[in-house]
Amino acid sequence: MPSNPMGEPSWRIGPKLAGLFLVLVATLCWSAPRTPLDVNEVLERLVVKAADPSTALLRGYQKAVGNAPADVRAVGDLARLYFDLAGESGDPRYVGYAEALINRYPAALPAELLFVRGLLRQYRHAFAEAQQDFAAVLASKPDFLEAQGWRGAIFLVQADYANAKLACDALGAAGAPTLQAGCLGLTLAYTGQLAPAYRELERGLALAGNPSNRLWLLTRLAEVAAWQGRVALAEKHYRSALSLGISDAYLLAAWSDFLLDQRRPLEVIRDLTGREASDPLLLRLALAHQQTASSKAPVLEKMLEERFAATRLRGDTTHRAEEARYTLMLRRNVNSALVLAQANFEVQREPRDARIVLEAALAAGDPAAAKKVQSWLQSSGFHGAPLSQQMQALEALPKGKP
Amino acid sequence: MSRQFEFLTRFAMALACMVLPLSSAMAHKSSDSYLTVRASGDQVNVQWDIALRDIQFAIGLDDNGDDQITWGELQRRQSELQAWAASRLSVQRGGRCTLKEQALQVDEHTDGSYAVLALSGSCPRSQGPLTIQYSLLFDLDAQHRGLLKLDLDGLVHSSVLGPQNSVMQFSDNASLGAQFLRYLQEGMWHIWIGFDHILFLLALLLPAVLVRQGAGLRGAASFRQAGLGVLWVVTAFTLAHSITLSLAALELISLPSRAVESAIAASVVLAAANNLHPVVQARWAMAFFFGLIHGFGFASVLAELGLPAGSLALSLVSFNLGVELGQLAIVAVFLPLAFVLRHTPFYQLGVLRAGSLAALVVALVWFVERAFDLSVFWWA
Repeated sequence: MPSNPMGEPSWRIGPKLAGLFLVLVATLCWSAPRTPLDVNEVLERLVVKAADPSTALLRGYQKAVGNAPADVRAVGDLARLYFDLAGESGDPRYVGYAEALINRYPAALPAELLFVRGLLRQYRHAFAEAQQDFAAVLASKPDFLEAQGWRGAIFLVQADYANAKLACDALGAAGAPTLQAGCLGLTLAYTGQLAPAYRELERGLALAGNPSNRLWLLTRLAEVAAWQGRVALAEKHYRSALSLGISDAYLLAAWSDFLLDQRRPLEVIRDLTGREASDPLLLRLALAHQQTASSKAPVLEKMLEERFAATRLRGDTTHRAEEARYTLMLRRNVNSALVLAQANFEVQREPRDARIVLEAALAAGDPAAAKKVQSWLQSSGFHGAPLSQQMQALEALPKGKP
Repeated sequence: MSRQFEFLTRFAMALACMVLPLSSAMAHKSSDSYLTVRASGDQVNVQWDIALRDIQFAIGLDDNGDDQITWGELQRRQSELQAWAASRLSVQRGGRCTLKEQALQVDEHTDGSYAVLALSGSCPRSQGPLTIQYSLLFDLDAQHRGLLKLDLDGLVHSSVLGPQNSVMQFSDNASLGAQFLRYLQEGMWHIWIGFDHILFLLALLLPAVLVRQGAGLRGAASFRQAGLGVLWVVTAFTLAHSITLSLAALELISLPSRAVESAIAASVVLAAANNLHPVVQARWAMAFFFGLIHGFGFASVLAELGLPAGSLALSLVSFNLGVELGQLAIVAVFLPLAFVLRHTPFYQLGVLRAGSLAALVVALVWFVERAFDLSVFWWA
């Protein structure tokens, strides 16, 4: 074996080969149906532990519904518990359980259940139907603050800032200043008023005592700071949020994106290893391994491919933003990525959704492909790093597809 | 005060969930089952992968409450599981098909372990549309989907079964075009992998680019002359095997397959021998005579594929057409090459004589194997 000047065995230069080997092993392990030999072989470890306090609560609620299937309170409590479990664990099965539960309700849905149905519908990106439910709730109960809050959140995602502002104001009028500050801060940020947005979110943070509310506001403050180009300040907010010690997947995803933008993949690998269960976090972990050119990158890429294939099979499109990023950055299939990013932008219009369209259009050298993002930037007034720079780079390209 | 915090938490979660339905523990996705149905005539086989988590939620599996599901626990619930699943699936072809439970196995998918149920049975009719009625878990999980892969007499369908479309009907002859293409492909494929047919055809074609001159051979004077020789042979062979293929496929004549296969091997031996020691000058006549036998060979392949009763003629014609297309492809490669090389000693000695000798030896081995039911070569 010829040795190189560093004295390392020459096979060390082949991390890609090692990765391919791992992929092969993983593929082989993707077994066909088999008959286990040992009756004690553990096939599945359940996520819901019998000893968890939430399990006792769940059992109690399930029993209550069993005893009184038409009791609004019992059905509402169980459906909301399912929804909360979906949010905490990220497991969409709970959303299906809650929907089935509400579908089984034997009478016309009262406001409380309509509200939960709205929550479930927005979870799977059926925004129009969700808004119908929230509107119906508010029509019968105008002081239903939560419905108002969610309405605002959906308006923001759909880039309807006038209606989002109305929802924020309604929250303020109803005496929910923290909620109003969060709502207003985001509306201001998405319409390009970054400095007032930052102040509004800071005001909300000063009012918030609850750690999970602080975590959310700190995360949003960090995002606004990053758009302003104040990298050190953004990092300070992210670190404050992380130091709260709450496991929050949204925070981890935003923090990882921040680090990836700073080309600091090792910290992403440190923070996300062990979090592969979640597709969005797995994506960021794979991107970090790609930045380090590590042999794990192809293995994670293969895992993502399988996950996206599984959701595609059932016609699920809620992960299109992630899939677009995966297709562009990891698969390097520019045209497919562009189609996915554009389709996602039809449904969700937040800065991160715009960014992936811009990146795919830049990779394709096709300014026309980002027309909708361009008009969103113009109409909303949003600006921020790195979107504004990407848009400029795209506009500098010669018109028309090469 | 605390109510307001709760609102803000939910508001925050709203934004987070809409963008990233995120997880904190293990691989998460909505519930799917994988339903593979193979229906051929009145026989139906089902493989059904159902997530252990879903079975746990519906009927419970973790008997000892240790948050783990073992193979033993799954086996103990086998009959309950099968009864539960069977009550939520019905396959119909001219009425409900009986489905009997076979082995229980396990498999892994992206989100964990699955029980693999095997079911098989028969339907009242062997043709006509097939209906699948599916209602697994819909009462408990509104987002559950059944991912169906159906092979209906060779036509493959994929569908997603959900609460809004829990009954689906699949037509066995909706796509005559697809059926035509399938049999066309089978016909082409068969001639390509049927070395005995190719060898017979080549043995008859090899001398076509040459003409007799005294005791020896020389290259044909024109491409037309060579082409005509090929045309006669190919036409006669095609005509003959089309006749017997049709007669056999329509079950008007049937011959024992061992006799047919042996005779096919013998036809190659004779065609090759005729190149070494010419006895029959009219090779088209040989092509016709032995073509009749090769037609029976094609028919046995077609019988294995199964002819759909509703479109028998179509399948027969397209299979035959596939065979002709495959044959034409061979001729299209052979003729120009042979014509270019026809004057060379390489062709006249190396290809014609040595090639015929080799074909003769191989075909002789085939003949012995087939006629006396022996296995001379492990690969043959």
